[in-house]
Amino acid sequence: MKLGVALALALALAAVLAMAPGIALAQGAPQIDVQVETDTVGVGDIVHVDMNATSSDTMPSDARLPTGGAFTVRGENESPTQTHIIINGSRSDRYTLNVEWALEAQRPGTFTVGPPSVAIGGSRYAGKPVTFRVVPAGQAPPRRRRPPPQMQAPFGFSPFDPWKALVPGMDPFDQPPPPAPPPLTTDPKLSLDAPRGAVYFLHATIDKTSAVVGEQVTFSIYEYLDVSATDVAIDEDARDAQVPDFVKHPLLAEDQDAVLAGYAAVGGHTWVVKLVRRWALFPLRAGDLTIGPMHETLVRPRSVARQPRTTEELTVHVTEPPLAGRPQGYGLGDVGRFALTAQVQPRDFEAGSAAGVHVELSGTGNLPSTLTPAAQAGVEWLAPEVHDQVGPVGHDVYGGKRTFDFVVRVNKPGSVDLGSLAVPFWDPDAHKYDVARAVLGSVQVKPAPGALPAETAQPILPDLPEVRDSLQGSSVRRRFADDTAIFWIAGVAAWPLAFGLAVGGRSLGRRAYRVWRGRKTSPAADLKERVALAHVACGGKDAREADAAIVRVLEAATVVHAGVSVRAAVGGEVVQRLERAVVRHDAAASVADLLRECEAARFSPDTADVLAARDRWVRAQGALRDLEKRA
Amino acid sequence: MTTGLASLRAGRFAPLVAIGAVGMALLAAGPARADDDPAARFASGAKALHDGRAGDAIAAFETLADDGVTDAVASYDRGLAYALRVRIGAEVPGDLGRAAHGFEEARDLAADPKLEADASRALTVVRGEVARRRLRAGEPVEVDPGRSLARTLAGLLAEPTWSVLCAVLSFAFGIGLFARWLGKRPGTRIAGGVIASVGGPALAIAIAMTLAARHDRLTLREAVVVASGARPTDLRGLAVPGATPLPEGARVEIVEARGGSTRVRFGTTDAWIPSSTLRELAEGIP
Repeated sequence: MKLGVALALALALAAVLAMAPGIALAQGAPQIDVQVETDTVGVGDIVHVDMNATSSDTMPSDARLPTGGAFTVRGENESPTQTHIIINGSRSDRYTLNVEWALEAQRPGTFTVGPPSVAIGGSRYAGKPVTFRVVPAGQAPPRRRRPPPQMQAPFGFSPFDPWKALVPGMDPFDQPPPPAPPPLTTDPKLSLDAPRGAVYFLHATIDKTSAVVGEQVTFSIYEYLDVSATDVAIDEDARDAQVPDFVKHPLLAEDQDAVLAGYAAVGGHTWVVKLVRRWALFPLRAGDLTIGPMHETLVRPRSVARQPRTTEELTVHVTEPPLAGRPQGYGLGDVGRFALTAQVQPRDFEAGSAAGVHVELSGTGNLPSTLTPAAQAGVEWLAPEVHDQVGPVGHDVYGGKRTFDFVVRVNKPGSVDLGSLAVPFWDPDAHKYDVARAVLGSVQVKPAPGALPAETAQPILPDLPEVRDSLQGSSVRRRFADDTAIFWIAGVAAWPLAFGLAVGGRSLGRRAYRVWRGRKTSPAADLKERVALAHVACGGKDAREADAAIVRVLEAATVVHAGVSVRAAVGGEVVQRLERAVVRHDAAASVADLLRECEAARFSPDTADVLAARDRWVRAQGALRDLEKRA
Repeated sequence: MTTGLASLRAGRFAPLVAIGAVGMALLAAGPARADDDPAARFASGAKALHDGRAGDAIAAFETLADDGVTDAVASYDRGLAYALRVRIGAEVPGDLGRAAHGFEEARDLAADPKLEADASRALTVVRGEVARRRLRAGEPVEVDPGRSLARTLAGLLAEPTWSVLCAVLSFAFGIGLFARWLGKRPGTRIAGGVIASVGGPALAIAIAMTLAARHDRLTLREAVVVASGARPTDLRGLAVPGATPLPEGARVEIVEARGGSTRVRFGTTDAWIPSSTLRELAEGIP
């Protein structure tokens, strides 16, 4: 025994001596240790990277982990610790920053992440990079569960029990570790495709996506909390889901704590699932009705602080129950399964007195809040007193009973049948209409002594016309002439249009005629006509006639092309007039010569020469071309 | 006068076939199947009305309306059923308005002048009761301010009548113009001028009235106030301070609807009121 104790002391002393240079070395670069839980992950899986950075100078800070795009950082958790040890009067400090990153693999392949780094005193120090093999989703090998975190001795042994690490089994109080807790059983119904957030998220469900107006839709909100998460806090300023198009009845007490619903496996993590809301919602109208999201904000842990968490926005397609087979008196929204009972007390009384009618409407669903008794002459129903005993029935059904206490006053004596009360409803389970009915039966009403005859009272709405007993019947679909274009064109616009066309046509015709006439009597037309006559005359045997035609052509040509008349001009006057009209001298002289020669030939006593006349006509045509060029 | 004008407006000239034989034949054929047969439902409602069972009658006629049955007599008897419930002292708020709605609808749909006259008379009785109650409450008693001048003019004659007038006046106008233009004798020319100068403006008016009547037929939506006081609100549904509630039973023109509110015109009043206080009038077979 003594030998053993001495050996232990010797080993301890050796360990302390061996440790001293190590402490000295730690004053420089920090010690960075990087660990991963696995090196093979599936796409979409979360893998954790742990880094321990230990320094003896100051606390490491600003931890970074480059991921290169192959991974997305879903969470980061930093845990700083400090250790101060004094051994034999010598003090040593140890600052450790533990950082855990949660990375989500984005695509298959082999990727290197990191290296992770920290900053110490203005310098940055890096650890070793980590290489991952990312395989398609679902093909990653199953992972071993991570051992629960243990308090680590900063120097590799516990300063409060240095012998424990050196001599195993020496500690009489060293108990074997407690057995691991049994694995949690997850409920597949609570599983989701992917977590809606790290650490904590909300998830909303409805039991049906289509319903009729008034049919119960059960709306639930669950919170999912990562079982490995600690110290999770949520801002109390949460905003509940908005359901403006529904009547809302809570099926869980609003002030009740969340109810454990089970455990779920989502995204490779195990989550504890609690039910925080369960409402029975009754649609108020037809259409696609929206259930707004519930909002919460995380406060702790720091890695997710101030991150919002919301539920999904859900839509319910709401229609009206079918018209076919709808019973009389059905009120839209009366959906569920109802029963009706009634009691009348007393059944014998005097006219003008009243009886009590106690009606109990029970069932599940959207119980009507009013009952309308069948009104009849001489029977007056006063407004009922209503008592509700409705609420959750079981876990997810709303219902109960509602009582109506009527007072009915009968003013006419005799046996009066009060009829029956009926509540038609749509049964969503049976997909058909049904009627809850309670027969009220008859009451015996004795004449009241001294009562006024009914006819003395002043009637309301007198002189209403008689009831009609047969429908008018179907009407033939009417067609209106003014819906057709033919009516407006042929029936309305035709006559004014015809008049307009006639007046316009006549005006246009007259204008066209005037234009035609004007064109026919123009100098140009006259010239054209005279040229044609000259052609004919020069082709004939009468030289005088030909010369006269040539003269008429030249006179007309001067009017048309030079704008001057040379008729009755004598001597050099022809040339002067034409020159004043900016006709070249040679052309003017040519015209003057031709006129003089023609006049001389016409009135010469000698026999006229046809050939000479034809020659003059040829020259006259040249003169015409000269005049045209001038024009 | 009102009846005559209304008769013209309802289109007496159109080939409307008033057939009660279908319903009567079904009634006579055997026991009514109240489940889905409109004629049987109508018969049960009419019987309840004769028996003074207003509640049962209302249930039957409302089911008919829910089934999409649009018939002047069904609307008329429905109005009577609501009026009866008021008369026997079992009135539910809004009954007078619903009665007025039934009578208004019957008046619009009626092919029988007698039915139209009865509906108008019943409407007068119901609106008289509404006016009496408003008088007691110190509110304005105007229940029916009438229509705008243009709409009243357009309503003087039925749309087909306006159409025929258009065609006739167009012909007269054209003939007058031609006579004035082409006439050889002075008498002919003077007569043509007179006819054209009278027929032209008359044709313009007739065209305007035809177009107005057609526009009303195709686009006008009307409703009746079926609440004891439809208080004008703003778009958020908040009551407008100082605004006078629209009277129960008033016939209003629907301008637009948004959310739970409907913008209506009532005389010179243009206001938003809760949609739940209105019941739209069924459109007849066009």
